[in-house]
Amino acid sequence: MRLKIKRFHYARDVEEALSLLSAYRGRGAILAGGLDLARSFNPKLEGLIDISGLGLSYVHEQDGGLRIGATTTLTEVLESRAAREYLGGFLAEVVGQVANPPLRNQATFGGAVASAHPWADLPTALVAVGAEVRWVDQEGEHRARVEELWQGEFRRLLSSAVITEIFLPPWEGAFAFGKLSRNVGDIALLNCACGLGIEDGKVAWARVALGATPRRGRRLLWLEDLLTGEAPGEELWQVVREQVEANVEVGADRRASAAWRRAAAGPLLARTLARAAEKATARQR
Amino acid sequence: MALEGKVVGRNVRKVDGLALACGRPKFTLDLDLPGALVGKILRSPYAHARILRIDTSRAEAVPGVACILHHGNVDRVPYTTAGQGWPEPSPYDNFLFDRKVRFVGDRVAAVAAETEEAAREALRLIEVDYEVLPAVLSPEEALAAGAPAIHDEDDAEGIYDAQHNIAAAVDIPVGDIERGFAESDVIVEASCEIPYSQHVALEPHCVIAYFDEDGRLVLRTSTQVPFHVRRIVARVVGLPMEKIRVVKPRIGGGFGSKQEVILEPVAAALALRAGRPVVMALDRAEVFTATRTRHPMRVRVKLGAKKDGTLHAIEMEALSNTGAYGAHSLTVLSNTGSKTLPLYNKAPHLWFHGKAVYTNLPVAGAYRGYGATQGYFALEVAMDMLAERLGMDPIELRLVNHIRAGETSPIFEKIGEGREGKPQTVKSCALEECLRVGAEKIGWREKRARRRREGSWAYGVGMSVSMQGSGITGIDMAAATIMMNENGSFRLLVGATDIGTGSDTVLAQIAAEVLGVPVERISVYSSDTDFTPFDTGAYASSTTYVSGMAVLRAARKVREAILEVAAGMLAEPPEDLELAEERVTSKKTGKSVTLSEVGHRATYVVDQRHIIASASFVPEESPPPFAAFFCEVAVDTETGVVRVERFVAAADCGVAIHPKLAAGQLEGAIVQGIGHALSEELLFSEKGRCTNANLFDYRIPSALDVPALEVVLVDSEEPSGPLGAKSIAEVGINGPLPAISNAIYHAVGVRLTRAPFTPARVLAALRG
Amino acid sequence: MQEAMKIYFELNGEQRYVEIEPGESLLSLLRRLGMKSVKSGCETGDCGACTVLLNGRAVRSCTTFAAQVRGKRVTTLEGLGDVDDPHPLQEAFVEAGAVQCGFCTPGMILVAYELLSKNGAPTPQEVRAAISGNLCRCTGYVKIVDAVLLAAQWKREGKWR
Ligand SMILES: Cc1cc2nc3c(=O)[nH]c(=O)nc-3n(C[C@H](O)[C@H](O)[C@H](O)COP(=O)(O)OP(=O)(O)OC[C@H]3O[C@@H](n4cnc5c(N)ncnc54)[C@H](O)[C@@H]3O)c2cc1C
Ligand code: FES
Ligand code: FES
Repeated sequence: MRLKIKRFHYARDVEEALSLLSAYRGRGAILAGGLDLARSFNPKLEGLIDISGLGLSYVHEQDGGLRIGATTTLTEVLESRAAREYLGGFLAEVVGQVANPPLRNQATFGGAVASAHPWADLPTALVAVGAEVRWVDQEGEHRARVEELWQGEFRRLLSSAVITEIFLPPWEGAFAFGKLSRNVGDIALLNCACGLGIEDGKVAWARVALGATPRRGRRLLWLEDLLTGEAPGEELWQVVREQVEANVEVGADRRASAAWRRAAAGPLLARTLARAAEKATARQR
Repeated sequence: MALEGKVVGRNVRKVDGLALACGRPKFTLDLDLPGALVGKILRSPYAHARILRIDTSRAEAVPGVACILHHGNVDRVPYTTAGQGWPEPSPYDNFLFDRKVRFVGDRVAAVAAETEEAAREALRLIEVDYEVLPAVLSPEEALAAGAPAIHDEDDAEGIYDAQHNIAAAVDIPVGDIERGFAESDVIVEASCEIPYSQHVALEPHCVIAYFDEDGRLVLRTSTQVPFHVRRIVARVVGLPMEKIRVVKPRIGGGFGSKQEVILEPVAAALALRAGRPVVMALDRAEVFTATRTRHPMRVRVKLGAKKDGTLHAIEMEALSNTGAYGAHSLTVLSNTGSKTLPLYNKAPHLWFHGKAVYTNLPVAGAYRGYGATQGYFALEVAMDMLAERLGMDPIELRLVNHIRAGETSPIFEKIGEGREGKPQTVKSCALEECLRVGAEKIGWREKRARRRREGSWAYGVGMSVSMQGSGITGIDMAAATIMMNENGSFRLLVGATDIGTGSDTVLAQIAAEVLGVPVERISVYSSDTDFTPFDTGAYASSTTYVSGMAVLRAARKVREAILEVAAGMLAEPPEDLELAEERVTSKKTGKSVTLSEVGHRATYVVDQRHIIASASFVPEESPPPFAAFFCEVAVDTETGVVRVERFVAAADCGVAIHPKLAAGQLEGAIVQGIGHALSEELLFSEKGRCTNANLFDYRIPSALDVPALEVVLVDSEEPSGPLGAKSIAEVGINGPLPAISNAIYHAVGVRLTRAPFTPARVLAALRG
Repeated sequence: MQEAMKIYFELNGEQRYVEIEPGESLLSLLRRLGMKSVKSGCETGDCGACTVLLNGRAVRSCTTFAAQVRGKRVTTLEGLGDVDDPHPLQEAFVEAGAVQCGFCTPGMILVAYELLSKNGAPTPQEVRAAISGNLCRCTGYVKIVDAVLLAAQWKREGKWR
């Protein structure tokens, strides 16, 4: 790899990073871990702005939620006690399935949100928990739910902004993550994140996101509605299997056919929901 | 019974192990050559096209560009890239650069420039006008009436039927196949298909071409076949062979992909034109699309058997896709039959027939297993079907039918390396024991009887057997030179090509055993066409057996010379002397002299001479190693995901000269086979462009994909081999595809006959 | 034009001050500096042959920009030991038969080094997970896992540095 960029900058603070970005007018990029940038071979890039010195590597617990600094590496997330405890280990479960240790040593949480690869696992998980992205641009500070951000023209927005932090809110119930791939180190052919709140033996709320369809993770609102008020159990999971196969929107890419995704999505969701329900019930006790 | 060797049969330190573990600069590109140019190749964007015009003037104007080669300014010499013995069995259908391109990635031109950037810039500026031709993207299309002829040039040689896109064909009848099936009680048929897969040696193909002090061309290259490189490059660039030296440093894996002479002629031609050293290294995408792949193949096997399970008739038909060029097209196809059918030698009626056809897709070539892998997939699935039809245990069926020591098969004589073979009697075979040991380890009886099921996961066990060969009868030739230093240490020079297999170590062990010294006293050097004797190279599981015999012979000659010198020192006839533990001892008096004393005397004192000997070996037979494979799989019936939970292999490689290295070969081959079975496949767009030519999308197994893997080496002793050895490098890769397919069948009752068994394929099969 | 830049960093215990191109990879820089143990197998981050330790953590040098190591500590396999004074991990790889062609070996040893620096008694599964980003096409990984477990044992026995 050898990008033909002209300059490499070490930003000292967010303001400097922003002013450098704007000076490049779309031909500069924020560099966090650099993993995606190094693989991008983007010929238009002229300058890279390294933000690793901005003090944005941290994981803080806040009222049961989690604040993760944008340049925190995935390994640092896995090693942080707060992150390991968040939602009964849900985040660690997801991050532990991202790529492999050396890549996790380099990849940053903010980079994952900014790249938001459609096949990636973190976006699906973040959509399910309703994570909030916080960023700064010339106009000031902003925040938005990841799903809102990704629904808009976020790549253009991020070309003149710096993500500073991702906030993962607290939840009463439990979440579980599911991933199907060709072999263990592979990216997902299909992934899902499921959260359930259980009260009096019934589903009080549900948060279900399906990703790598091959599109980026999105919530299945109709499935959440279907689950709410029902009693978790094999019968309900069977309904999930059937309804998902009948209604889910999936497509094909070179990794998997639409027919397989349609057939596999139901079982994947049903199992992941069953695990979430088990955890939620255990938590209640 | 293993040979009780002092050195042989022991896990001595791999001679190059520590240097490699310390990252010493031992590989091709670890040499910095000041002033070297960078060579790059312009590749065809079309699957099939004629080059109408090529204009390099803008490219040549790029600062730093030294020269640009294309069909308009190089000699047109038909040749094959397949690095094989002589006469070359593959068609001469390649040219350094041609007026036509035949697959996406085919060579159009090559540039040498001062920097990589300049070379890339020049590639960008070469103007080429193409006349795009209709492309042939499958063997069926290639054979269809009116299909465009891919090799319509009139100067290619040795193509079976160029007009109909048939690179090679075989038709081997034995007995009367019709009668055979008519007389059979049970008939089954299986048709199995292997797609494009690639070797993925971790070191991409690379070469440095430079000139020595005398102006001779030196090629330092990542190859399995240095002597074939020299011969082929000499022909293609028009240099006398003695003006070329090929050096093989340490090689980062090959598996057959470096038995091809792909990059060397280009680098040589660039260096000669520029008069300067040239470095060329392919990137991973080029390795995938523009080196070589396994031959995709569909093999149909029809078995006829008597009620007691004895095979009576076997038909095997293969349709092989050789891609745009016919490298190894005939020999891989031949091996599909010749390495499989002798295993079941009870059937008197055989028919092996098939074709290797051209397509406008990447070029197939040698890949570990070499056609046998494709053949065994179908044969062993068919055997599983037959066992079921007969209500017999699959192991029992193999026991009834497999070849034993002292037996032969007509196939040995009928099919050789692109011509007739030689009759051969198998002299060692421990397959029965392999079957017994493997079955016991996996718990065959219990697991076969009771299928386990946990939720949606269904478990099953399956098995397969295979054999291979050890070198190529009458064609392979290896030579070795051993010289003694005056301090009693030795230098072993071999043309044999250690490409990571550990053959330097194994060959040193053979020499050390005979010479009565520890391996540390022998420094091995492989291979360099200037300084090591000839060897056909590392392929066809030949090194331990063929090169090992050459080393054994040379070592014996050196021992004789040592004993002769010692006889003078001890005043006793050589017959009464013994060479062991670095000394020559009189069996009668117990008096002894050290090797160092012998060396000193021979070099400096009396009747001076260099104790040195060379020897060659050509195999008269190719003794097959055997292996039995067992695996347990889990199949997710809801998603089609398959996990290999356990894999057991028991193999008979004769005496394992170095058990750990032998086991390592088997383990590596099995894991490649598991990759074939579960995930490996090159995919193509409808225009013939490979869409997953990278290690992100083309999944090879990682450490987490390897199941509990146990390999057992079952002892046997091959009388024709060096100290009892046969071979082990390839046989392991034939097992996983059929064993896993058969295990899936046991688990869920569906036959997977198209590799790889991806979740989508398995689920589709499950859903009917 | 690309502006050359200069950076300080620590390479195998030595302070270095080198000129780099702003878009150059760490892989390219290290090989230029003679660290030939750092291998190129893909240059897209997918194989692990180019692994080095950056402040003690294994990373791919092909997907790391040379400029990113400014002020940091880089260790290549050369920094662990050499033939006349090998590191126990290097010995263990030879002892266990984990070296076939040796092309993946530098990266494997370095990820193993990081693992053992954090976890002195890994399970086989933990070893597999740790090396799972590093591809080996020769060994089938069996003996590499053995080697790391052997090295871990030596470490527990105090044979380490
Ligand atoms: C081989 C491989 C395997 C992978 N496997 C998985 C997987 O299994 N599951 C999964 O979920 N993900 C996976 N990923 C994705 C991985 O998580 C991301 O690539 C990684 O997190 C990117 O982080 P980075 O810091 O290296 O990004 P960089 O390369 O530094 O940046 C990526 C992009 O984001 C921008 N950017 C980065 N940080 C900021 C910021 N703070 N503000 C604004 N813009 C920013 C950059 O300008 C650039 O455009 C994989 C990636 C690779 C390369
Ligand atoms: S060369 Fe860096 S990961 Fe392959
Ligand atoms: S030893 Fe060859 S790639 Fe690992």
